[in-house]
Amino acid sequence: MADVMEKFFAPKSVCVIGASSTAGKPGNVVVKNMRDAGYKGKVYLVNPRGGEIEGYKVYKSIDELPDNIDQAVVTLPASLAPETVRALGAKGTKAIVLAASGFSEVDHAGEALQDELIAAIRESGARVLGPNTTGHVSTSSSYTSSFFPLGDIPRGSVSYITQTGNFCGISLRHIMSAENFGIARSCGLGNKADLDECDLLEYYGSDDETKSIFMYLESIKNPKRFLRVARRVSQKKPVFLLKGGASDAGAAAAVAHTGSLAADGRVVDGAIEQAGVTRLRKYSHLFQVAKALDTQSLPRGNRVSFLSPSGAFTVCLTDICRSLDLEVPDLEDKTCKRLQEYAPPFIRMRNPVDIFGSVGLVGYEKAYGDALDAVLADRNIDAVVVIMMLTTETGVPKMDFIVDLSKKYPNKPVYVTFMGEHKHNVAAKEYLEPKGVPCYMLVEEPFEVLSLLASCRKNMPVR
Amino acid sequence: MATRVERILKAARAKGQKTLSEYESKRVLAAYGVPISREVLVSSQSEAKAAAKKVKYPVVLKGCSADEAHKTEKGLIAVNLASQSALVDAFKTISKRAGKNYDGAFLVQEMVSGSREIMIGMHRDPSFGPAVMFGLGGIFTEILQDVTFRVAPLRKKDARDMLRSIRGHKILEAVRGMPAADLDILCHALMAVGQVALDHPEIEEIDINPLIIRGSKAVAVDALIVLADPEADGASS
Repeated sequence: MADVMEKFFAPKSVCVIGASSTAGKPGNVVVKNMRDAGYKGKVYLVNPRGGEIEGYKVYKSIDELPDNIDQAVVTLPASLAPETVRALGAKGTKAIVLAASGFSEVDHAGEALQDELIAAIRESGARVLGPNTTGHVSTSSSYTSSFFPLGDIPRGSVSYITQTGNFCGISLRHIMSAENFGIARSCGLGNKADLDECDLLEYYGSDDETKSIFMYLESIKNPKRFLRVARRVSQKKPVFLLKGGASDAGAAAAVAHTGSLAADGRVVDGAIEQAGVTRLRKYSHLFQVAKALDTQSLPRGNRVSFLSPSGAFTVCLTDICRSLDLEVPDLEDKTCKRLQEYAPPFIRMRNPVDIFGSVGLVGYEKAYGDALDAVLADRNIDAVVVIMMLTTETGVPKMDFIVDLSKKYPNKPVYVTFMGEHKHNVAAKEYLEPKGVPCYMLVEEPFEVLSLLASCRKNMPVR
Repeated sequence: MATRVERILKAARAKGQKTLSEYESKRVLAAYGVPISREVLVSSQSEAKAAAKKVKYPVVLKGCSADEAHKTEKGLIAVNLASQSALVDAFKTISKRAGKNYDGAFLVQEMVSGSREIMIGMHRDPSFGPAVMFGLGGIFTEILQDVTFRVAPLRKKDARDMLRSIRGHKILEAVRGMPAADLDILCHALMAVGQVALDHPEIEEIDINPLIIRGSKAVAVDALIVLADPEADGASS
């Protein structure tokens, strides 16, 4: 299994069946995507018309291709899928991505076609991703099979398993253009005619490129195996799941009460809990939490400090922390003393840190920098959120001190959020995130992320 | 143990029962170590009187048959019977309510007192297989639906997590002068119910409701085991 997964995620050669010269067609975009991603392996194209597409020679049929090409990406219509899979299998290709839709997701005829496809897959000896998938991405090989225009995808440590093409499509574009973090692998499961979430989860679990795993699933194909695999993988790596759609399980003709109470996805809820998988409830957390883990560590616990330029934030964000099961504990005495050195005497420095007075006395960088160093050094604190106040009039400091301090304390995450003038906030985010400091545009967001990370931490063995 | 349980199940199926009676259900659960109330199955008033002396007053008298899954609704339960005359009155009332054709027995049971009621159950999920439920019991089961499930087999950690993950988990703590509930007993009961389901695919559902926490120790006061329809295409395992 690991071998064939390598052919999906680190193919040495790949063929596109149904390659097209027409811009915008999947068979064309996929070829451009491979080139734009910087794929270095051999690329073979097949189209009955032959000729040349995007600078590559085009073979007229699968028969003409060399044997044992690692991977095939098939962009032909659904009806041709079974015979194509058989032909590729005969040529020794072991990994096939089927883009076409029009199978079980559509109608009864599609269901029958999918059954035929499943039989063809069994005969072929190949493993298949899809059908009805946007494809997948593997940055360590600068590779993608996606037919959604992507460009050069930044490499990172986050991997996705999704029952949607979004994370090889629009959501990946959002990550690339707005969130400034990198991914390792991403895989759209499609109809899961063959490979399913368990296969991918198992592979990601043993994959050195992958440090954290994010899933979006609407169904679980093999629930018992999922429980077994997820339980094992979640002991080694943070695993998150957004489960879409209410479960239809339970609530049969229940004689006993337990049966009627098993409705509303309660059994799935319990199983996910049991699997050590951290449940996400918001779609945006699929990238906001991921961003935090790409460059920074999982916090050791739920004890938070934050630096705030406003008294209101110290009050209402403490309330929010409480509702999110985050602690805002007392700081060590020596930390308070250090904070007091730059603060006006009428402000009693404690957690959360009201930084406004210190900024007025010693300037932005010194006040924030010294306070951040102090709370990061505090033994009672697991993670720190810096709330920046940025306006043209009050000044915009150089942000490097945050980057430096974040590196100085690698076991304690530092996130930045803002209140002030939008253009400065955006500029600060664009500066900090590529340097490894995750930023969040809304003040509640970093706390929501920390809350999810803290509950993930609880699932993992103490190290 | 397994054979005793199998005997009960086999006999019930031979008689075409869709459920086990309360008494049978509790024998099955007790065989797996779930703590149950002290009780004696009787078929006459005189047997009931003798049983009550053994169990010791106050007692509970219940109709007990495989057809009476919801005894409360039918008024087949009399609780807190402190004397023989109260027992005799209750016996007459329950017999009358049960009707002329009632061929079930009666259960004379110790009165388990405690103000905290919880529930343990089992449901066969079509995808995950047997799932064990824990939650608030008695009348609160349906009103609050404060329950949580885990898939069998349960590890000790899963059982511990279940006890913590209902909204009303503080009911198990030391509250209002009552001692904290013995969590080991509850964990064991949860794991046991999962094991019953794994060992016996012919069992479709289990309700243990309520378990009353007497002092610190939970005791199953009522239980119902539902059998899978033998006509159906095999219980999901």
